Amino acid sequence: MTLPRWVPAVSWLGMTLLYLPLLAVAVLSFNSTRYGQSWGGFTVDWYARMVSNEAILSAAWNSLVLGVISTVLATVLGTLLAIGLNRRPWPRWFKRGSDLAINLPVVTPDIILAIALVGAFAVLREWSAAFKPGMTTLIIAHTTFQISFVTLVVSSRLTTIGKDQVEAARDLYANTGQIWLRVLLPQLMPGIIAGALLAFTISLDDFVVSFFVTGPEATTLPLLIYASVRRGVTPEIHALSTVIVVGTMLAIIAVTWIQAARTAKPQE
Amino acid sequence: MRFLPLALLVCLLTAGDTPPVRIFMYSEYIDPTLADAFKAKTGFTLDIQLYEAQEEMIAKLQTGGTDQYDVLVASGVVVKQMIGLKLIQPLDQTLIPNKANVGKAFLNHAFDPGNQYGYPYFWGTSGLMYDPAKVKGEPTWAWVLDPASQPGPFTLLDEAKTTIASTLAYQGKDMNSRITAEVKVAVTALAAAKNSPKCLGFAGGVDGKNRVVSGEAVVAMVYNGDAARGMTEKPGLKYGLPKEGAEIWIDMLMVSAKAPNKAGAHALINFLLDADVAAQNANFIQYATPVEAAMKKIKPELLANPAIYPTADELKRTHYLEDLGKDSRMWDAGWTAVKSH
Amino acid sequence: MRANTCGWNSRQTTCWSCAIKPVIIHDGYLTTKPHLYGRGALLVGLAFLWMGVFLFAPLAGLSALAFASRGEYGGVEWTFTWENLSRLAGHDEFGFSWNHLLILWRSVVLAAVTTVLCLLIGFPMAFWIAARPAAARPLLLALVMVPSCVNLVIRTYAWQQFLGSQMPAAWVAQHLGLVPDGASLYPTVTAVYLGMVSAMLPFTVLPLYTSVERLDWSLVEAARDLHAGRLRTFRHGILAQCMPGLLAATILTFIPSLGMFVISDMLGGAKFLLVGNLIQQQFGSMNNWPFGATAGLFLVIASLFALWGLRIVSEREAGRR
Repeated sequence: MTLPRWVPAVSWLGMTLLYLPLLAVAVLSFNSTRYGQSWGGFTVDWYARMVSNEAILSAAWNSLVLGVISTVLATVLGTLLAIGLNRRPWPRWFKRGSDLAINLPVVTPDIILAIALVGAFAVLREWSAAFKPGMTTLIIAHTTFQISFVTLVVSSRLTTIGKDQVEAARDLYANTGQIWLRVLLPQLMPGIIAGALLAFTISLDDFVVSFFVTGPEATTLPLLIYASVRRGVTPEIHALSTVIVVGTMLAIIAVTWIQAARTAKPQE
Repeated sequence: MRFLPLALLVCLLTAGDTPPVRIFMYSEYIDPTLADAFKAKTGFTLDIQLYEAQEEMIAKLQTGGTDQYDVLVASGVVVKQMIGLKLIQPLDQTLIPNKANVGKAFLNHAFDPGNQYGYPYFWGTSGLMYDPAKVKGEPTWAWVLDPASQPGPFTLLDEAKTTIASTLAYQGKDMNSRITAEVKVAVTALAAAKNSPKCLGFAGGVDGKNRVVSGEAVVAMVYNGDAARGMTEKPGLKYGLPKEGAEIWIDMLMVSAKAPNKAGAHALINFLLDADVAAQNANFIQYATPVEAAMKKIKPELLANPAIYPTADELKRTHYLEDLGKDSRMWDAGWTAVKSH
Repeated sequence: MRANTCGWNSRQTTCWSCAIKPVIIHDGYLTTKPHLYGRGALLVGLAFLWMGVFLFAPLAGLSALAFASRGEYGGVEWTFTWENLSRLAGHDEFGFSWNHLLILWRSVVLAAVTTVLCLLIGFPMAFWIAARPAAARPLLLALVMVPSCVNLVIRTYAWQQFLGSQMPAAWVAQHLGLVPDGASLYPTVTAVYLGMVSAMLPFTVLPLYTSVERLDWSLVEAARDLHAGRLRTFRHGILAQCMPGLLAATILTFIPSLGMFVISDMLGGAKFLLVGNLIQQQFGSMNNWPFGATAGLFLVIASLFALWGLRIVSEREAGRR
């Protein structure tokens, strides 16, 4: 099937829009002037300083750990939720209600989410000290708003898949486990991965909720960055952002390479 | 700032049992090498936590964060509010002998009589930074507020109280006016200035400074520290306090209501008021120190810089902004109006 | 349908235990309602329990805040008042004003235009990615998401730099006479939408892709074989099939855009308050938490209404299929 000629052009436009600021960030990270726009000369100084800056490194580590754990939790919970909602004939009121419930975190402004979560933790802290502001509360908070995003993406994918395949599998005497593993999840994988990616990036970039929910020992990258922006964004932060982008891209390329090598046998 | 965290980590790793002293402040607001000096003198480790805006700090403290920090830094205008919200505790004055070093002019403000709750850290002003090549004459708020006399593109400060107060000063009114009619007139004028074609919008002090340095703006409303930095980046730029009046502000060191390390908190405040420490700090971050005993150790080029240490004449036309209590609602509604029309 | 799954063979009576648990057919196999819904409840209940404890319950508490008064210094006083609602409707210290309506209007316009632009660019992108060889697709998808890993403020700051007066883009505009000499390309409306689209595009492309990838091209071919014009083919062949993804994409783009204000502030000169600004400020400099809760919950309710509307539209389109 051939696409009209303007489709690739628009797609490249879209990609340009996405990567133009990153390019600017990368260029600025080599600028030797600390503040201001003017080009002072090429230097890799900022990268060196960034690597030796313990605050940045520990914040980056915290953000990574937080992102991975909360994404895994949210993906599991969200996928189960999407499958459970989609594959049972729930009564209409339940469907409407769960629609509302899932959309609530997407619809609620960050600051309201933050205040709500802080309130919840304040109450729960009376019951168990595990809810002291810190990494645990951060992970819980992030998972809470990530679930919706995963569910929405996976649900739309489920609806697109439809019921025929599952019914066909049943006719062929597949039991529930086999249906899940051989029919449902493989078809759902792109949706699950898309949802997980979405959730991960949301967690990585969250500021408001993290600010209110975290303790002094668990600073994340956005918290560090926001505090520095007030004084003027330093090229060190640009260096950090560039490293994040390049690192993520390398990781993705590596994963795709491995996947491609593994699925060398014809399956599609 | 870059070496502080490394030093911090080393200290934390070697500290063992001594609890840290946590200070909550703006970024780049303390000389990083002071952490070592503090540890050497008192044995406490300094842990710096950052916020972007003091409103966020207050919000975080209100949601139960008072037991996460020891020392808080905030400007005088919110001290009364913090006392009312029970976010800070009275100081044990016996633990702060260095308070004698502070200049009398900076003590005993209306927002904290007798300095029961805090001592000053740094002070500064909010005025106009401009390019004298393109803007002639004495600094005046008309450069930004009067469409007929705007010399070129400009930015206003994205800070409700300061900007409204400056407009009131321009109109000859009290900078802390509680009269609805006066504030309404100021708000209308401010909205008109914002909508005038030469206005590049509201920006933080740093953004405004960047605009002037790059030439995109000829005037910007900034904090004096930003202006000082801009003058280093592009010599020739000037900073001045408009003749109609300007804001002078002072940042206070206070102890959090549920500070986990009370002794350390007081030790830190006392340490920062020491004459040598204050001088070293002021020389590094280039803001004006209220510690009079430190003045003789300040670098002469900083003393001569009107962006850091204003002249006596300029000081005469500065005013502190006050917490307006119930009338703050009216100012907030005014700011919403400015940004809606 | 009633059947005696226990094996009791009778035409007149049904086994009493089977009567209690009526058997139903689901997905082509026999099961009982309790079994079906029981397993379903487990799947669904985990997530709902989590969200219930950490989100729904506190949000309910927050609704109570909407009727509380603001204390003298900005704390919360639990005395009932209508003041927050009347302030939301426009009654402030200066009397009645349209400020809040203007704020809401501007936010809706920004979000709507951003969503439309994102869909216009994102839809072709989704198709283009789906048309790539299978190995390249996850890579491309991930590449679309990678820019979101960089902090939004940093990315917007990068746009500021890119649109600065000494950069090539501004030079071209200055030479073309579009802007005066020495001026930058921000704050302008274009700059704001550049920033918004570049920020929200990944949230549009990903959900769209999940539907586009599973497109049944035979239906599209069938429509063409039946002499449907280009537009009708698109509408009934392609668009109708992509409805679920389209809906998800619209939700995930429009709703967050509604609450965004950082980009408008940084690239638009912070000249106008958006709903996000208003709410944030109540918990910040204006320290009026009850009103913040009111405004925030108003946004939530308004958004849920918008969602409901979107769903009705999509269900109607799906019904027509």
